[in-house]
Amino acid sequence: MLTYLRKRIISSALPLVVVVVGVFALARMTGNPAALYLPLSATPEMRAEFITRNGLDQPLLVQMGNYFGGVLHLDFGTSLRTGEAAGAMALRAFPATLQLAGVTMALAILLAVVVGSWAALKPNGIIDRIASFFSMAAASIPDFWLAIVGILVFAITLGWVPTSGVETSASWILPIATLLMRPFGALVQVVRGAMVSALSEPYIRLARSKGSGQRRVITHHALRNAAAPALTVAGDLTVGLVNGAVVVETIFGWPGIGKLMIDSILQRDFAVLQACVLLTAIAIFTLNIVIDLLYALLDPRVRPAAAGRRRARRTETPPATTPPADAPTALAGAARP
Amino acid sequence: MMFDERKILLAPARRRPLAALAVLAVGSSLAMTGCAVANSDDAAGGTAGSGSDTLRVVLQQEPPTLEPCESNLTSTGVVDRSTITEPLIERNPTSGELEPKLATTWDSKDDTTWTLKLRTGVTFHDGSTFDATDAKATIDRAVNSKLGCNVEGYVFGDEDLKVKVVDPETLQVTAPHADPILPLRLSFLEVVPSETSTTKKVREPIGTGPYQFEKWDAGQKITLAAYDGYWGDKPAYAKAQYEWRSESSVRAAMITAGEADIATGLSPEDNIGDLGVPYPNNETVALRMHNNKAPFTDIRVREAVNYAIDKESIVKNLYGGRDKVAAQLVPEGVVGHSDSLKPWPYDPEKAKQLVAEAKADGTDTSAEIDMIVRSAQFPKIEELGQVIQEQLTQAGLNVKLKMLETSQHLTYQVRPFAKTEGDLMLMTQHGNQAGDAAFTVDQYMLSNGAQSAFGTPELDALIKKADASTGDDRQAAFEKVFAYQNEKVVQFAHIAHQTGMIGKSKSVNYEPNSSTGDELRLAEVTPAK
Repeated sequence: MLTYLRKRIISSALPLVVVVVGVFALARMTGNPAALYLPLSATPEMRAEFITRNGLDQPLLVQMGNYFGGVLHLDFGTSLRTGEAAGAMALRAFPATLQLAGVTMALAILLAVVVGSWAALKPNGIIDRIASFFSMAAASIPDFWLAIVGILVFAITLGWVPTSGVETSASWILPIATLLMRPFGALVQVVRGAMVSALSEPYIRLARSKGSGQRRVITHHALRNAAAPALTVAGDLTVGLVNGAVVVETIFGWPGIGKLMIDSILQRDFAVLQACVLLTAIAIFTLNIVIDLLYALLDPRVRPAAAGRRRARRTETPPATTPPADAPTALAGAARP
Repeated sequence: MMFDERKILLAPARRRPLAALAVLAVGSSLAMTGCAVANSDDAAGGTAGSGSDTLRVVLQQEPPTLEPCESNLTSTGVVDRSTITEPLIERNPTSGELEPKLATTWDSKDDTTWTLKLRTGVTFHDGSTFDATDAKATIDRAVNSKLGCNVEGYVFGDEDLKVKVVDPETLQVTAPHADPILPLRLSFLEVVPSETSTTKKVREPIGTGPYQFEKWDAGQKITLAAYDGYWGDKPAYAKAQYEWRSESSVRAAMITAGEADIATGLSPEDNIGDLGVPYPNNETVALRMHNNKAPFTDIRVREAVNYAIDKESIVKNLYGGRDKVAAQLVPEGVVGHSDSLKPWPYDPEKAKQLVAEAKADGTDTSAEIDMIVRSAQFPKIEELGQVIQEQLTQAGLNVKLKMLETSQHLTYQVRPFAKTEGDLMLMTQHGNQAGDAAFTVDQYMLSNGAQSAFGTPELDALIKKADASTGDDRQAAFEKVFAYQNEKVVQFAHIAHQTGMIGKSKSVNYEPNSSTGDELRLAEVTPAK
């Protein structure tokens, strides 16, 4: 397991570097940010001074060298906008997004498993049809619209929850409800489909004929096998959430990294953008590793140890105890008088 | 053998990973919600029930910094100016007069060297006394140092001021040349203690104002507390809190739901109803035409643009009649605004005729015009662009509308202008915070002005003369500049002087004025009876 982890971490490092270098170069290709930071009446000398002060007049490779040199000392540069350390700004904003994305995905997965399994019990039955309709709707509704309508109905008209902000526990409700919709909708479809396939497998009939109750059949046999595709989709959706919670963060004033990233793009705040992208990329690579580990947990066939054993068995000479292919089996032998 | 009995006998006990996962998921969700959001106040001790002695304001964006020398940046100044920090001299936004603040009197014999008498009995939030050393340090830091303060570029350009402490209550400031509006320029400098760093900008301000800085929960809110040692009248609220939401309908929702007392940057489309208070905000919208390519090489085509746009209808239908049709780049209340200058009338026939005349004379009137407009710069800007495009097309011109985001739009707004395929026509929104036309005219109308497409030597001469005038002469000279622009230069097609709107809950009293967008003076907000 540890070898596997080590290999994955090393193989994730290269894409990480590529991502950061890519963002670094592309961001600087958008031109000189001086106009965004200096008053409109600034003279060309002031603009030149701004560029020099921020090292933007150096050749790209020199800038990149300086940047990575700083990264090795955990110095991710300074924000053009606020003057604070870019790394500190990104790290400060990240936990809020993680909390939002984490809770949302956990709830989405739980609800999707319940609803999807329920719907799969009787395919094309009434529950299935209702679940399909609502999950399609949920997956299609634009989160922006849902957020605004949610505020209008639940915060202003009914007054049940605050409009926005992070003041109280109740502030979580609307952002999570909004963010939940699309992953929930997509996952219900996946779980339902996977469960329908799993429930039609022969081992389910065998389990039922052995006397297993409905609950055990579902959780112990069917769900375990349906989990793999659901996990893939859930993993993709979580990655999307970490990046895409920006709309919800913007509307609800949630101090997360999505909003910080968008603001730093619009303001050409290079250091903060790089720090945000780096942090998010690390999180996504970690998430992918976790998903792979979960796969292994759920499905023994996928485990690296199992793969090793399979490889070993193929290369060994067959042991003497294995009967030749055309020898009669015990059953066949028993059938003969 | 079909089965490998060893494997079955030695197989480890089946674990129940799925159930374990579910428990983990639910448990961690509850744990995460139980904790407050990262970086926020504890839910229990949060300011949800902050009481009626806290004034809650919701802004459009988080201030990038509260460094006082950057307070001509709207998002910084709206919190700092006259609330946390104060200038030596302050402009009254309604009357336009300069009033004493930390300086009680000021005068000059030659408009070059000014002597200011400073107020006594003033202390900073850190307890230190205010005197001329602090005033000198403020000016040196903001204008003469290498800090690169925004106010330097905006107000003083590349020029330095010579500052001398005559005695603790007297300061002498010398401009590099005669500058009748130096006191107005000084009104942009927020006074800080002399100990403030001259090599680094500060994020958290220390000033002399009625509120002192208390706490900044980055990403969430800024909290201020009333300053007990304030030299003036104690403000009505013991605490003040700023939050920010980029979505205007959410800001409006906070007012409606009673979560905030004042919200900036609203419009009727945000569903604010009668809790919205409109006010003239000093902003003017205009089209700037570049004359280096056809068709704007011909002054008749530029005049045609002015005749072709139905400004009255735009103001009435797009902006609910709140805005005012403009004839110049500065609204009423700014020194130099000409009451007698009439806006170009809407005359589509005349526009067509002028275009035809230009065409007959050889100007390529079908050449493409690139109208560059900044997305979301103000409400309904895209509709405005489309209306103008349509009206100009009817006059016989070929206009292509391009909506760009801020950073790209800026490349067309200031020199050196980015290249366009067709002839450049930029929609620009200009706010004259300062109250004097020099701040507008120097930038927008001088031949080499930072935001000027072109000028003429005659106009340059008129502008230089106006810059050096004082009193009534100054007013007359600038009026002449604006009139000359409209008659002989026609760089601009002015559209309207705009209005802003704040949301104001029923529990507070506050009269917005033209400076509200740039400096929201909390001391002027009082509880409603």
